[in-house]
Amino acid sequence: MRRFLWPTIVLVLVIAYPLLFTTPFQQRLGALILLYAIIASAWNIVGGYAGQVSVGHVVFFGCGAYAAMGAYAHFALSPLVGIPAGIVVSVLIAAVVGVPTLRLSGHYFSMATIAVSELVRLIVTNVDYLGAAVGLSGPTVPRNVFDMSFTSALPYYYLFLATLLITLGITWWMTSSRMGFYLRAIRDSERAARSLGAPASRIKLYAFMLSAGLTSVGGSLYAMMFGFIDPESGLGILISVKMLIMAALGGAGLLFGPLIGAAILVPLEEISNNLLGGKGAGLTFVVYGAIIVLLARFQPGGILTLLNRLWARRRTSRSSVTAEGASHAP
Amino acid sequence: MSTILVQVIVGGLLLGAVYALFSSGLTLIWGMMNIINFAHGDFVMLGMYVAFVVYTLLGAGPLVGVPLAALVLATLGVIVYFGLIRSVMKGPMLAQILGTFGLALLLRYAVFWGFGANFMTLPENIVGGTFDVFGIRIQASRLLAGVVALLVTWGLHLLLTRTSLGSKMLAVSEDSMAAQLMGIRPDTMQAIAWAIAAAATGIAGALIATFFYIAPTVGETLAIVAFVTVSLGGFGSIPGALVAGLLIGVIESLSAYLIGAVYKDIVVYSLFLLVLWFRPQGLMGKM
Amino acid sequence: MNFSRVAGLLCAASLAAVLAGPVYAQSKVVKIGAVFPLSGNAASAGIHAKAAIETAMDIINNAHPELGNFPLAKDAGLSGLGGAKVDVVFADNQGSPATGQNQALRLITEEKVVALTGAYQSGITLTASAIAEKYGIPFVNGESVAANLTERGFKWFFRTTPIASDFAKLYHDFLKDMKAAGAKTDSVAIIHENTEYGTSVASVIAAAFKEQGQPIALDIAYSANTTDVQSQVLQLKEKKPDVVIMVSYASDAILFAKTMKALDYKPPMIIADDSGFSDPSFIKAVGKISQGVFNRSSWSLGAPGSVTYIINELYKKKSGDDMDDTAARQMQAFFVLVDAINRAGSTEPAKIQAALKATDLKADQLMIGYKGVKFDAKGQNTLASGVVIQLQDGEHYVAVWPKANAAAAPVIPYKGW
Repeated sequence: MRRFLWPTIVLVLVIAYPLLFTTPFQQRLGALILLYAIIASAWNIVGGYAGQVSVGHVVFFGCGAYAAMGAYAHFALSPLVGIPAGIVVSVLIAAVVGVPTLRLSGHYFSMATIAVSELVRLIVTNVDYLGAAVGLSGPTVPRNVFDMSFTSALPYYYLFLATLLITLGITWWMTSSRMGFYLRAIRDSERAARSLGAPASRIKLYAFMLSAGLTSVGGSLYAMMFGFIDPESGLGILISVKMLIMAALGGAGLLFGPLIGAAILVPLEEISNNLLGGKGAGLTFVVYGAIIVLLARFQPGGILTLLNRLWARRRTSRSSVTAEGASHAP
Repeated sequence: MSTILVQVIVGGLLLGAVYALFSSGLTLIWGMMNIINFAHGDFVMLGMYVAFVVYTLLGAGPLVGVPLAALVLATLGVIVYFGLIRSVMKGPMLAQILGTFGLALLLRYAVFWGFGANFMTLPENIVGGTFDVFGIRIQASRLLAGVVALLVTWGLHLLLTRTSLGSKMLAVSEDSMAAQLMGIRPDTMQAIAWAIAAAATGIAGALIATFFYIAPTVGETLAIVAFVTVSLGGFGSIPGALVAGLLIGVIESLSAYLIGAVYKDIVVYSLFLLVLWFRPQGLMGKM
Repeated sequence: MNFSRVAGLLCAASLAAVLAGPVYAQSKVVKIGAVFPLSGNAASAGIHAKAAIETAMDIINNAHPELGNFPLAKDAGLSGLGGAKVDVVFADNQGSPATGQNQALRLITEEKVVALTGAYQSGITLTASAIAEKYGIPFVNGESVAANLTERGFKWFFRTTPIASDFAKLYHDFLKDMKAAGAKTDSVAIIHENTEYGTSVASVIAAAFKEQGQPIALDIAYSANTTDVQSQVLQLKEKKPDVVIMVSYASDAILFAKTMKALDYKPPMIIADDSGFSDPSFIKAVGKISQGVFNRSSWSLGAPGSVTYIINELYKKKSGDDMDDTAARQMQAFFVLVDAINRAGSTEPAKIQAALKATDLKADQLMIGYKGVKFDAKGQNTLASGVVIQLQDGEHYVAVWPKANAAAAPVIPYKGW
């Protein structure tokens, strides 16, 4: 049972966080970390496990966000209704986009996903029904609890936490199933995987669709919290990049990698902005950029890889049992 | 064909040549080391600021600005290679994106810190005015950029195909281990490649500065065009970048004129995806 | 980076803020939050806004007898609060609606500001003011023009700036006068960028002109921060409109000016819609090749020795540039807010809100050319207005219309370079 000890302690701490750090900003910071952890974990399924580096995942994020705001703006429904709608639309888009683009290798796939997401952004900017350039806004003064418009970040925090646990649960289930086995084989060598009979195209597509659906949920949750979506904030390339760098920083292809990445980058971004942003000298991003460069320079495999290696070393030194974590080490 | 339509096409070709110019450095790195440089647009931006500083301090135009930009950027390229790229290349592809994205922010906002957020420009006729050829207006500064684009592309192409340095660089890119056994030092070759690519990018920036505005965030605007140009042409193919650049320039201009300016990027991205559908390796890339 | 330590620091900082709260009240400092784009594409505008507000702080907190009867200038501090000083906490919205909202929350809950101003981009003003509404903190906006901002039924949101429908009327009336004076104004083209600013302003102008029986002849939309505008200029060159109305941010405005010169295109008349064409960068970079461009503004420099002239001198010392219309409107909004706090005689949000509702400033109490400041039930200033200015010498805009406010006569046709 020892292997469950640490995850349990961490989970208890995460649940207790907003009760320990009670100011509105701290609670919101916690919620933001979880939100980014959700979308980065969703991205991780296709970008980390399957090794298909999508830089266009913001399309699915946007689907969820627009669905949530659209449900309110057009039908006066709860933004919650947008969650399933967003999932359906993004899974469909993933299927349509995935078939041609997943054939592409390496960077061509990344570039194609960038092109798709820019295309979607440009089109939405010209569609009046989706608010065009002005965007769609949600309820500010909620009619009831289902409008999901809260002053405190507490409800968002636990909602996001539940979603994150589900996302991680699905990811864990997937990796321990046959699909996860195939995905790892594809990531290491697609040609070898194919020659051994893995249905590579189909598996990659399934991963892409699964990842798209989960990303969309993250988008819906984002829109509920901020109550507004426009082409730049809902479909801009920067969000795709953020998902990617959070997963990469924490450790792509590892279950808790994106969570760790988010737990480092989100506070770093917010706190550097709090401390330096008001000066108006651009120092926020000098610091933020420099830290990312240093992390990439000294820990290219992600923080979690380092932790796993330290952990493994400690375990091997304590007992001579071979460490499981060693398989993750580069 | 009406004069205006010819003007649109000429304008598109000159624009396309500029796209090709600032993409050639990116494709070189990409092809040789299989690295996406997310900071590429910011290298262009630095080239622009070198030209600006040269003008402000010395009052000199591109004759001084361009070589100096090449020199400064080449130095930066070597520093970036040894300081960052060499290490992230050992990690997964994601580490490269992470590292160069961080570098992009660092460079962009270091310039922001030093020069402020204001938009700046070089004087209108720093290169010369505008020619009128049979009613078609050609800006000297854009023409210069176009000619240099052709020269740089040609030069890089010759370098890679005709010189021993070029063959050594290609050898490293194809099989670094084997190259090492032949007595070629991969580190040196790759550092040289970064220096050359960054220098080409610096030249592009210094020339673009003669007819574009200069701002810390300008790299963002240019980077995405460079990405599309390079992947349309085929990663690593220098002639490919030229063809793709010219193609994108003309298509953008024509579609902006005929359909509407908001649709020009939609046309370019759609076309790009279509090309990838039929030729997954880009127009002139190798499989 | 150790997260728990950072969180701990945050916790300590907030504790300190809570403990320090009453002390602040005693030393009489009124804290106001300002959220602006201090990085990203719009940073140039945000940094000028910051300088404008710092200038206003200087005017309020120190004695400035040279400004005569200008409200809040004469004595040091706020007379309504026993000489209390105003302190502004700036925050960077990074051009993101999410960051804007996070920062607004931080200013309200951690910095304990009593009111907010900002946030430049309409989308960010929307999310930031939503948080202020939830916490019941007054939010005074001086520059975001999206119509929907005051249509949300908010009780804590006030806007001093004129909005698109005001400009549309201004342009139409101006053109009518110019036509009477002999200018040709039959076909009007609009060229606008396609973010929320350009789209909404252009569509309101187009609708207003149509209503007046003069539909827009040519409407060209383009993507903001574009790499090239040759085709758009050529479209204009081909259609030869009499008047071109341009709605652009600074980067694109500079490109347009350069491209128009390169392609040798001069329309008989250009009316620029503020924003990019008012940016000091625009005038410095391409003013000399854009001579004679008309622009709308609520700000004018005035004669040496006038209140506006002195304010501009103070501002110039802070920012290095002459004051532009956007910065001036932001500054005015800030003065309106501080005036309300002064009249409320309290830092209690509800009292400030009541004072804002009761605001009735006359034209001579403003540093900007509005007819006054008085809010309607939605929080929109009903007396906001502007004048038409012209960049006659390529270096300074001068007011040219309406005649009552004019410092010079309008010059046509467009001179360019």
